[in-house]
Amino acid sequence: MKQQTKLSQEQQQHAAEHQTQQPAAREFANAEELLRYDAAHTPVPPAIAQRLQKSTDELPQPKAAWWKRLLGGTNS
Amino acid sequence: MNEPATGCEFVAEPPADLASPEFASLYAENSRAIYYLALRFLGDPQKAEDATHDVFLKAFRKLDQFRGEASFRTWLYRIAINHCQNLCRSWQDRHVFSNVDDAVWENATAKTDSPLRVLETKELGQRIQKALDGLSDEYRLLLLLVADAELSYEHVGALVGQSPDAVRGKLHRARKAFAVLFEKTA
Repeated sequence: MKQQTKLSQEQQQHAAEHQTQQPAAREFANAEELLRYDAAHTPVPPAIAQRLQKSTDELPQPKAAWWKRLLGGTNS
Repeated sequence: MNEPATGCEFVAEPPADLASPEFASLYAENSRAIYYLALRFLGDPQKAEDATHDVFLKAFRKLDQFRGEASFRTWLYRIAINHCQNLCRSWQDRHVFSNVDDAVWENATAKTDSPLRVLETKELGQRIQKALDGLSDEYRLLLLLVADAELSYEHVGALVGQSPDAVRGKLHRARKAFAVLFEKTA
């Protein structure tokens, strides 16, 4: 009984080591799927928004209600 | 329409105050898509950062010219593509393989019908960039646009000046070329 327990522990350890040595492969059906995954894991640098804020502060505001047209068009 | 994105959302946190709450919202919805296109098309994070800033600033300046005939995302892509292509024209030392003929990909031995397998995601971005750099500008752009699940083949076709059928045909060859190059980066 004790021998069986020891074997079981060894098997579990071996299985755990095997898992760490061979990480599961991730599969992508095609290039676009791979690029989507990459895009989702590529953060936008916060510096862009900060620079953009400074740049737009120096410009006159766009004409009124432009965003209403945009919001109407974003779902097209 | 293309297949829905798998675990990919092109949405970032909106910046606190960006000209107006509406512009901040549009930035949040579209900045990841534009930044990613610029990053992978130009192949340089700093240039991509500059390009994304310039594209949104140009959009802000020209907002009154937006007529709502296309989605805001498509309109932004058009600005971004023009911007990136203008930048690329001045770089003669990049895109070493850009003149590789389609026949090279057709004769290549990569199993392009098989899924792309990735064991290590740590350096995935570098591998993707290397593979994209080996493609022509046309194929690279096509793959990057089709990867955005919000764009249909019709939208992509309008952006690259091709019919949807032509997009499908070229996409097949672009996938094959990418698979060949991606396999080499392993």
